[in-house]
Amino acid sequence: MIYVIDHKDSFTHNVVHQFSLFDDVKCDDFSKINKSKLNQASTIVFSPGPGSPKDYPLSSKIYKEFKGKKKIIGICLGFQQILFSEGAKIVQQNKIYHGFQSEVLVNKSSKLFNAGSKFKVGRYHSLKLKEPFQAENFDITMRCAISGAAMSFENNIDKIYGFQFHPESFLTLNGKLLIKKILSA
Amino acid sequence: MNKKNYLNSINNSQKPFIIYKTIKGFDLFTDFSKKIILNNQNIKHFLNQNHSSKKKYKSTDLYIGFFGYELLNNLIGIKVPRQKSINFPKGIFYKPETKINLKEDLIYESQSTHKINRNFKINIDQNLYTKIFDKFKKKIRSGQTYQIKICTKYKNKSQIDPLDFFCRLAKTNLAPEAFMIKDKNYSIISCSPENLINKKGSSISTKPIAGTLRKTKNINKRKALNFFKNNIKETKEHNMIVDMERNDLSRICIPGSVKLKKEKSVEEYKDLYHYVSLISGKLKEKVENIDIIKAMMPGGSVIGCPKISTLNLLNNQEKENRNIYTGSFGFIKFNGDMRFNIIIRSILNYKNISEISVASGVVIDSNAKHEFNENFIKAKALIDLYK
Repeated sequence: MIYVIDHKDSFTHNVVHQFSLFDDVKCDDFSKINKSKLNQASTIVFSPGPGSPKDYPLSSKIYKEFKGKKKIIGICLGFQQILFSEGAKIVQQNKIYHGFQSEVLVNKSSKLFNAGSKFKVGRYHSLKLKEPFQAENFDITMRCAISGAAMSFENNIDKIYGFQFHPESFLTLNGKLLIKKILSA
Repeated sequence: MNKKNYLNSINNSQKPFIIYKTIKGFDLFTDFSKKIILNNQNIKHFLNQNHSSKKKYKSTDLYIGFFGYELLNNLIGIKVPRQKSINFPKGIFYKPETKINLKEDLIYESQSTHKINRNFKINIDQNLYTKIFDKFKKKIRSGQTYQIKICTKYKNKSQIDPLDFFCRLAKTNLAPEAFMIKDKNYSIISCSPENLINKKGSSISTKPIAGTLRKTKNINKRKALNFFKNNIKETKEHNMIVDMERNDLSRICIPGSVKLKKEKSVEEYKDLYHYVSLISGKLKEKVENIDIIKAMMPGGSVIGCPKISTLNLLNNQEKENRNIYTGSFGFIKFNGDMRFNIIIRSILNYKNISEISVASGVVIDSNAKHEFNENFIKAKALIDLYK
């Protein structure tokens, strides 16, 4: 079972819908997390959401508790939430991407996707990862083809994955494939 | 009864009635046997009523009416702080006993002799608007909202003949979700273009609009599509709404069934072009109408995104109750089918005070002066009726 932690976003149920194509999915509000569902889940997904990771200490706590024990996936805010919990700084960007389709480029450090391949993806983020960023076993594996901003990471040791963009958006072509790959990793 | 004089006679009868646009013309509903004033206590009971045991339905086996904005907020657990209020009901539904089909060209001669006041007062001037605008832009920068709609309200005091207003509006601006309600102490006149819920059996669809272009001599449908496609701001706003409506349908639909049926097409109306998408899905088996209303309302395209945090930002900012504005009007049939619009481009006349609310969107690259004027343009089509 996949447990989606909802940060009160208007895209969370697109995520639920997409993951439901692969497994049983349950979804609860981040402030109403059910312990037994959390324990039963094989995968935890941190949803997109408004605001910044510092607004969701409960989600950081869950991340730290289950890191290395379950597969963890973060999308948009969820991506930032995981990196923030690993000590990263999340900062405002000059150019803001809301409802924007752009191209991301896979680099050599990806184990799941071919280096050099490109994806058209939908973006909804005001904030971004401040770089340089380093954490053990974490690699930034996709970047915006234009700005170079971090768009995806992989931690293949602890099975932790994240996308800054929205694989569930209609603006993302091949979103299903991206999810399939990280779920089977 | 002679249909030609029907509108005059129903208006003279003083009976409350409702008119709602259909594909070919209009439906008129009257002879109401029940009137239900909704509040936070009775709305759940109202929505949970089950009539579906009947085998045969009459065309009047339905409730028709509206949910106001505050009621829809409260229904999904969002509080609206104390605001200036005219104490207009939060929602009203009627059970009609008579339904009449009317042709598209409505014939009615007003006998009203009241002088109509043409002067409107606006509740937020451009200065204040700009301040609110800048504040919301900061909220976008910090990620609390991605798109938010600032509402301004135009008000005046005058006694109007709502049927006359509606007939004139239908001539100049025939909108697919147009409706009017005339009751004893209030009336609503609307040229809403936007359908929020169309539910038949287990099929459901929604048709959000984001993007409006005035018609001029030099523009045709194809040029309008090019304008929208090449306008990055309009495109981004529209994309956001599409993903949000997909999300709201995904809450109540079978996984994999939510489909973008029409992506970013242009619809042509008398005075303008709209940028429209159509999203549909198949309802999950155990979903009730109350679940659908809670998932879809208030309609996202007129609020902003993400819905919950944006509603909270709006409610803390706005000093006056929105009443019907950005609520929904429509009907629930006894067989469970529903049709609801989003109440925009509407006049609420209550105790001889008219109010017209309008809103336009703040996204990261919008401009305060432009959006303020956009609000006025939207209101003007209705203000122009006051003559």
